[in-house]
Amino acid sequence: MALLEIENLNAFYGMAQSLHGVSLSVEEGDIVGIIGPNGAGKSTLFDAVMGMVKTTGSIRLNGSELTALKPDQIVRLGIGYAPERAHLFPYMSVRDNLLVGAFTARGEIEPNLDLVHSLFPVLMERRKQETSTQSGGERQMVSLGRALMTSPKLLLVDEPTIGLAPKICSDIAAALKKLNEETGLTILITEQNVNFAMTLARYLYVLETGEIRTRGTVADLQSDEELNRAYFGQ
Amino acid sequence: MLQVLIQGLLLSGLYSLIAVGFTLIFSVGRVLNLAYGAYLMMGAYCYFYVTQTLGIPKPIGFVLAASVGAMAGVLKYRFLVKPLKGDHVAVEISTLILAVVIQAGIVFIFNDSAKVLHPIVPGVIWVGGAAVTYNMVAATLASWAILVLLYLFVRRTHTGRAMQAVSMDAKGAALSGIDPDKVNMITWVISGILGAAAGVFFASYTQVNPSMWVAPLIIAVAVVIVGGIGSILGTLVVAHIIGFMEVISTTFIAAELRGVFTMLLIIVVLVMMPKGLFGREEL
Repeated sequence: MALLEIENLNAFYGMAQSLHGVSLSVEEGDIVGIIGPNGAGKSTLFDAVMGMVKTTGSIRLNGSELTALKPDQIVRLGIGYAPERAHLFPYMSVRDNLLVGAFTARGEIEPNLDLVHSLFPVLMERRKQETSTQSGGERQMVSLGRALMTSPKLLLVDEPTIGLAPKICSDIAAALKKLNEETGLTILITEQNVNFAMTLARYLYVLETGEIRTRGTVADLQSDEELNRAYFGQ
Repeated sequence: MLQVLIQGLLLSGLYSLIAVGFTLIFSVGRVLNLAYGAYLMMGAYCYFYVTQTLGIPKPIGFVLAASVGAMAGVLKYRFLVKPLKGDHVAVEISTLILAVVIQAGIVFIFNDSAKVLHPIVPGVIWVGGAAVTYNMVAATLASWAILVLLYLFVRRTHTGRAMQAVSMDAKGAALSGIDPDKVNMITWVISGILGAAAGVFFASYTQVNPSMWVAPLIIAVAVVIVGGIGSILGTLVVAHIIGFMEVISTTFIAAELRGVFTMLLIIVVLVMMPKGLFGREEL
């Protein structure tokens, strides 16, 4: 059984339908990427998994159905979410932002903090700084750290590289890779930056206008000429 | 001069307590709770009835008053604010209507004559040629104690941090496993308790009457507008600006004008700095 199993998912913002019959699955221990252009529905897909938009269809984590649950219940079941644009608490310190992430995992604060600081040592130095005064890269690290503080079984990472310098992007890629290799944490990541997704994910889904256009390993997708031109620029 | 300083500190302490419960709701729930003054009034009447009509000891009266405030907060959130969710104007108008209804209820039960509360702590000390009642000192010390406890609660506990989180970024709070509905409910309860406590102290300064909800509400609104914030420290600063302004204008200009300068300050700040002195609304 896959860790995350999404079947025939439709998502709605008011009257507008933004996902059409999306199905995907993520095996435990994997890093899976979702690539696609801006507006394809990548963020909506994650919001749907978290119970933040109206949906029909099925989303199961370890076999238990999530679609009727509220976001806080889904966090408790083991999904951590680092959303696009971070959604940090701007007038709180780095440390307090991380501690809010521990709201449902109060018994594991120390080991989780150690993990976050080992991935992003700069957050230890900046622990007293308000996040409103931080750079985009550090804010992204706080966002990932806050998601890890929930003790997740599955980490959703939405567009972690938007607006960041290449050096920071590769730091974040390295941290996610280390996280996956050392703790075995399953990661589902969306990216417009296909190169970034390729360096991390073994398996990719291509999402376009709210539908899964195709899926496969990086090699599979590169062998498709049209996709290759559209996404890999070769 | 010494007298202005002392009077200013005492009044500002009370104003801080009055304002903080109101700004708490504003920063977490983003609504102006115009029935907030009515919490103060219900707290004061409850305390008056329990301690002076029934003759029950003061600490019990205080706890019962706080319970009435907490209950009022729960009921209002559950039956008014939550059903009207998202429509801030509707919430604000209905809270104002509620205040008027509560006023009518108070007149019906207690009639409309003013009642004098016995001092919570009797006695007077003379400082610099002016009488300062123990009651005022006790009210101020209690205000400070309550504010310190509230500050520690908000900054140091998981629930307090969750309140800050909801006020700063609702989506960020939800994906941290926080149920915004629960946090709002807790905030309304705390606000109700703070309001009722402030009401007992406020009434012990002045008197208990069915229109006593108006003046504290104006003070609370003034603090929100001038401060533009829900932060506890910011509330303290602005409450002291307003408190001292009132004492200074009463002492050196004319007692009749004491509220006028607060109003003028509101207008000046609205025109010059629409986001308030501190430019932020989060807790």
